[in-house]
Amino acid sequence: MSTRVNPTFIDNLDPFGAEDVQLCYQCGDCSTVCPHADEVYKFPRKSMRFLQMGLDKKLETTLEPWLCYYCGQCSEQCPREADPGETMMSLRRWLISRYDFTGLAGQFFRSRTTEILAIIIVALMTGCFMLYYGFSGGSIHIYDGEGAFLPSQFIHKFDLSVGAILALFLILNAIHMWYLVMIKGTPFPVSWWYYVKEFYQLPWHFFTQKRYSECEKKREYSFYMPWLIHLGLMLGYVTMLILVMVFIERLQAGPEIQWQVHIFGYLASIGLITGTVYFIRSRFKKNYIQYKKSHGTDWVFVVLLFIIVVTGITQHIFHRTGLPELANITYIIHLMSVVPWLLRMPFSKWAHLIYRPLAMYFSGIRREALKHQEIVLNSNPVLIK
Amino acid sequence: MCGTNIAKIVDVEEVAKFTSDLPNVALARTYKYMCSNPGQEMITQDIKDNKLNRIVVAACSPNMHEHTFRNALRSAGLNQYLLEMANIREQCSWVHHDPKEATEKAKGLVYAAILRVELHEELESVSVDMCPNVLVIGGGIAGMTAALEIADAGNMVHLVEKNDHLGGNLARVDLTAPYLYSARDLLTEKITRTNDNKKIHVYLQSKVTDLRGYIGNFKATIDSLNGEMTKKNKPVEVEIGNVVVCTGYKEFDASRIVHYGYGKLPNVITSFELEKMIRAGRIVTKEGKIPKYVAIIHCVGSRSQEFHTYCSRVCCMTALKYAHEIKSANPECYISDVYIDMHAFGKGHEDFYRSSSEAKTLFLMYEKGDRPVIHKASPKDDCEMLIEVNEKLSGELIEIPADMVVLMVGMEAREDSHEVARIVNISQDKDGWFIESHPKLEPVATTTDGVFIAGTCVAPKDIPDSVAQARAAAARILARIAKEKIEVDALYSEVNENLCSGCRLCNTLCPFSAIEFIEDKRQSHIISALCKGCGVCVAACPSSAIKGRHFTDQQVLAQVDGLFGIG
Repeated sequence: MSTRVNPTFIDNLDPFGAEDVQLCYQCGDCSTVCPHADEVYKFPRKSMRFLQMGLDKKLETTLEPWLCYYCGQCSEQCPREADPGETMMSLRRWLISRYDFTGLAGQFFRSRTTEILAIIIVALMTGCFMLYYGFSGGSIHIYDGEGAFLPSQFIHKFDLSVGAILALFLILNAIHMWYLVMIKGTPFPVSWWYYVKEFYQLPWHFFTQKRYSECEKKREYSFYMPWLIHLGLMLGYVTMLILVMVFIERLQAGPEIQWQVHIFGYLASIGLITGTVYFIRSRFKKNYIQYKKSHGTDWVFVVLLFIIVVTGITQHIFHRTGLPELANITYIIHLMSVVPWLLRMPFSKWAHLIYRPLAMYFSGIRREALKHQEIVLNSNPVLIK
Repeated sequence: MCGTNIAKIVDVEEVAKFTSDLPNVALARTYKYMCSNPGQEMITQDIKDNKLNRIVVAACSPNMHEHTFRNALRSAGLNQYLLEMANIREQCSWVHHDPKEATEKAKGLVYAAILRVELHEELESVSVDMCPNVLVIGGGIAGMTAALEIADAGNMVHLVEKNDHLGGNLARVDLTAPYLYSARDLLTEKITRTNDNKKIHVYLQSKVTDLRGYIGNFKATIDSLNGEMTKKNKPVEVEIGNVVVCTGYKEFDASRIVHYGYGKLPNVITSFELEKMIRAGRIVTKEGKIPKYVAIIHCVGSRSQEFHTYCSRVCCMTALKYAHEIKSANPECYISDVYIDMHAFGKGHEDFYRSSSEAKTLFLMYEKGDRPVIHKASPKDDCEMLIEVNEKLSGELIEIPADMVVLMVGMEAREDSHEVARIVNISQDKDGWFIESHPKLEPVATTTDGVFIAGTCVAPKDIPDSVAQARAAAARILARIAKEKIEVDALYSEVNENLCSGCRLCNTLCPFSAIEFIEDKRQSHIISALCKGCGVCVAACPSSAIKGRHFTDQQVLAQVDGLFGIG
């Protein structure tokens, strides 16, 4: 059965950042330098080829873009400046929009205006709601305890409800990803046993980002700097998320600092501030090839996160130094950036936090299943048509 | 010694020692580079000092350096034909591994050369007048370029064109790749200059029906093709000294490939049909609609076992040119370029290829021999046709949507090329292209002296190459005209009138048409200017009446004796 090529498809990918892919003439240089390319050297050029040819049905079931961590060696090597690294990045953006059944992700990736407007609207709504809540029950002069402007019990409930919405969309999108990859995109049977056997991959890759650390063989240090910073940022982020979702009441209780939770908060803040500053600086300086081209959503991602981190730290300082009014105001600004950030999560670059380890997990299952399939076929040659 | 080329296998000192002991040998020497200036001077000096009368140089092939050593003899005042070369490089040191046996073979070759050179005669080359008029066959870009070049130097040119206008195949083209110059602009200037040049006599709707004579002294008959025979249309006979053949090509007949449905599917068109549309300024389907999808298929008739195995050289860049032209006429159009390999070898070609990619042309590669198949799409498709092909780079069997398919038809030799070849006495290869006298070093000369070939009648080529060849041919001819006389190598055959019985066997065998039959004497006569000394007539003559100068029976037999160590 022949596959229909779609010459118009490439136009749809332009807004996702894949402007240069049509320059690729499949020389394979990218595959020879990529530390993740396997023996047959189809990675990453196979995805690039499918993109050129507009084979979207094949692209939406592929895991390849998730297996690339954009070290940029391919783009440096490319004789035609087709930018394979950025193409894979664009494909990840496109895949996020494909997994998302609401269509919001696609809207945000395609139009920076839509994205920023949505953020501003949600931020304003949050701000109004917080001010209304604060003035109706509390005093701006009190940060915590009795009569607080924004009591931590209330924030805790609020956080949990935002978290629930977020989790709902995220789970639905992840199920969609599973359906595309494992049902539509896997043409052979997969036993439930492989799901169990490979399950360790999920936490392993989530917490270590092992594959990222294997990127780029030539490096200045014995480790890969962008990986380390990224890992620090991610661990800080996850720690902070858990603290905010579970321990917010202990975090905000005063006046004495509860070191059992605060130590984690401080460590997480270091990871977050280092990471955001490093990535913003890199995107400005364009010192590595992977930071040369910044999509609108990349900027929104790092800048918004930076605002969240800075306002979070500032309100904490104000609170601990006895300036409750300033602390309350900063805290509202903090919430105004946190809420749109969290609600946007399943529809944005952020979602790669979930998709990347899932991709490693699925690809492990697929590999095991394929191995088994080959054994079955080899022992029953009749089955091979 | 030729550096170490010879000396590393052959013990040259031993060969020299062996040679110096042979009878009639006055002197035997070795030298590192005999062909170098000091080497040649050494020969000249030795001839003078020792009053030598025959020279054998044991070195490389006479093809390479016979000319050099003949000069050395001439500067010593010795007739240049008293030289013989023993080829101990190509025929010995380069092809053998055992030094001992190679040395023995070298001795044999040298001995044979010595026995032969003893029988060499002093010969004189002949010289004939050079008629300064030139005949150019074909009025395309190559023909006009050659004609203008020769006429601008002050010589009369007869330019014969079959069509009723000048310009050839280029007149059917809109823009040219890769710089997108207008073909019309390139041609108009040439045509105007050709028509205005008083030294160029243009014969439109005419063809050359006969060419007799030899270099410097041809007579050509030019016939009008223009129907009725009026007084004006009578065949013209012109005297010329040289001929340039620039008869061009014709395009491959696309209907020969059934897979493509050319002639059956209305919107499958050839590249020349697209050129016509572009020139008219409207690229539309037969139904008058602007196509959304255009597919361009490369190598139609070229690079295939069934049709032509060669590459037509211009289609790749022309296809890219179409991608540019169609895209600029209609930016909404999607272009798929279905190719085997992208041949972007020329100046500016690779950049042009890149810029086509930038214009978002979708390049799809197919395997040579695994040709795409075009069929009609179903009514629910958003296109008129679907092209099914195994796409090589992705490994997928794909369907390409198309509202219009452009077939890049290759070049082939014209159907009347064999007639032209017969008239001007040149050869054709298996594909019908005219054969040059040396594909690398003599690209515009032919085996018939005074007949040159240029442009696409030699092989497929683009405009710059055609123009370069035309100018090369013109330069060769102008150099000869400037000399006024032409020297012919003394290596021609002679008929002994006392022995010739007039059987005319040699007349038909001569590959160079160099033998004429003198009716009143009833004997054959060899025109020395045309004869190349190939020896066919010498071998064929039943009365042994023909002698090949410098290749007499005695000389050849003596050399054979020498090789077998006899004598």
